[in-house]
Amino acid sequence: MTIRFDVQNTETTPALRISSLAHRYASSGTPALQIDALTLDPGEQVVLTGSSGSGKSTLLHLVAGLMDPSSGTIEIAGEDIHKLNGHARDRFRGRSVGMVFQTHHLLTGFSAEENVMAALMFSDIPRGSHRERARTLLESLGIPTPAQRVERLSIGQQQRVAIARALACDPALVLADEPTASLDPDNAQVALDLLQDACRSSNAALLCVTHDQRFVDRFDRHEHLASPLEQLQGALEGA
Amino acid sequence: MSMSDWNIVTRSMRTRTFSSIVTILSVAIAVGLVTLLISMRDAGENSFKRGTGNVQMLISKEAGPLPSVLNSMFYASPPTTPITWAQYLELKRSYPFAWAVPTQLGDSYLDAPVMGTDESFFESFQPAQGTDWTLATGVYFDKPFQVVVGADASARLGLSLGDTISLEHGAPRSEGGHTHDEFSFEVVGVLESTGTAHDRAIFTSLDSSWIIHAHDRREAIFGHGITTSIDDLIHEDMKITAVYASLGDRKGALVQVLSALLRDPNWTVASPADTVGNLFSIVSNIDQVLLAMAIAVMLSSGVSILLALYNSMEQRRKQIAVLRVLGASRPRVFSMVLTESAIIGLIGGAIGLALSILGGLIVTNVLAQRVGIVIEPALPLDGYLMIVLASVALSCIAGVLPAIVAYRTSVVRALRPAM
Repeated sequence: MTIRFDVQNTETTPALRISSLAHRYASSGTPALQIDALTLDPGEQVVLTGSSGSGKSTLLHLVAGLMDPSSGTIEIAGEDIHKLNGHARDRFRGRSVGMVFQTHHLLTGFSAEENVMAALMFSDIPRGSHRERARTLLESLGIPTPAQRVERLSIGQQQRVAIARALACDPALVLADEPTASLDPDNAQVALDLLQDACRSSNAALLCVTHDQRFVDRFDRHEHLASPLEQLQGALEGA
Repeated sequence: MSMSDWNIVTRSMRTRTFSSIVTILSVAIAVGLVTLLISMRDAGENSFKRGTGNVQMLISKEAGPLPSVLNSMFYASPPTTPITWAQYLELKRSYPFAWAVPTQLGDSYLDAPVMGTDESFFESFQPAQGTDWTLATGVYFDKPFQVVVGADASARLGLSLGDTISLEHGAPRSEGGHTHDEFSFEVVGVLESTGTAHDRAIFTSLDSSWIIHAHDRREAIFGHGITTSIDDLIHEDMKITAVYASLGDRKGALVQVLSALLRDPNWTVASPADTVGNLFSIVSNIDQVLLAMAIAVMLSSGVSILLALYNSMEQRRKQIAVLRVLGASRPRVFSMVLTESAIIGLIGGAIGLALSILGGLIVTNVLAQRVGIVIEPALPLDGYLMIVLASVALSCIAGVLPAIVAYRTSVVRALRPAM
């Protein structure tokens, strides 16, 4: 069965549009996240900072459709991901959202190119081109030995494989969760360069969550995510 | 080649090689046991019944019908109580037998038992119901010191026409046995295979057996270096150990003769087919216990699959979560775990079948050597297929719980950085 997504022209439709988003912890009911509006245009690179507990990672999970928000909408390339159910949402995420994690989360026991091809498995890209596509991406990111198993690669190389995997399906949006946190300053610099360059060359919007203020200026826009408590304090001070 | 669910499943199994092999082996052993038991159960009884041929009565002086049949028809061990030739002749005169073949066991060549008999053994006795003796080569013996070799004995011992052998007094490998080098026996015929215990025997004339025993007696009196011929035989030398008898189609007479012989304390009379049937009715109880045990082993192998996969879920939660992030749906990760279960069941089932065939060969060989039963444990092809399918089905059932765990894996929780 072919599932068609109503993806609008990404040149005119924002890569990400968040409206009136609120999320509460299911167990306690206390607010975890509150965003009135956030929009990323195609190819735009936004860094999101915030204190610990401000809900940065929760936001990424909500955007990726891994959690459902308490209220509000999240549209990726014009598609409200939370209106999609089960299989359709999983397929949409695989095709439209790339994710880079702090600890890479590569599939151990598999080679670098197999990790990239694992992302392509769930796309509509013809199977015959998967290996070539994975190798090209890895070579462009400086991995000369794509057949090497990922656990034998250095941390910096593993991060490059993770970036290649996130961009394998030409996603409209790349979500990066503390992508430099496990790297030394030099490697962090290189990894961010690669991530930003790769997103730019594929016109993917990048939403990067970090607590590291050093890299804020490298992005098109900087957004600060205040925790619900900080927002309340701010509102009280304003009053 | 692109990545597929199959790659992920098989690679995942390879990363847990030891656990996967142990689980597959546990399935293989269970399938092997069940298959072997099922295939041997029918084959054993059929082979036993086939080995009794067209003998309606086996008459001996053994302790009971079962040892009589096992010793005199399946060559388990030599009968211990002899029948004199005079007693045999009297027996033959007393009852209206269609035929009564005298047989004498007690000698051997290497590990093959040697039966002394007369020409009626090949003329009247059919080794399997409806199957006459056929020579593969040569002729039947017609004078002393000639032997006709069973198909299996010929193949195993490398005996062919014109070979000469010396017999050993006593059962194969028995204590106190001695070789009669002074008498050379010539192989004059090799029999076609009958699929019965007789295939592993060597046949010679009663005269030959008697002369060997007469020689022992005479050596004890006259010392070494003497020669013994048929003319030296006395009544004491002329003994047999059992009579294969039949009354042909006269069923009414058979009942009368059987009941008369059963009443006579001098004879042990057995209806070979009935004795084998009785033996299997006893064995079938043990067989059912073994079958129940094999099924229990199969169930426990199912539990071992469940545990192996369930325990691996803890390590694989991250892998499953990553696949979910990449676009794998819950049903897809569910099916991946079930596929892994099915692979374990399929490989385990196939190895199990190979083990059962190997085990069958070993058991067949041991039974043929020790008990003289030639059985061919085998199932029809669809029987083997059903067993492999059952193995796959059981493995899939065992994989359902781990697959549910995979299905319900929380991506957010699994990918949360360790604190």
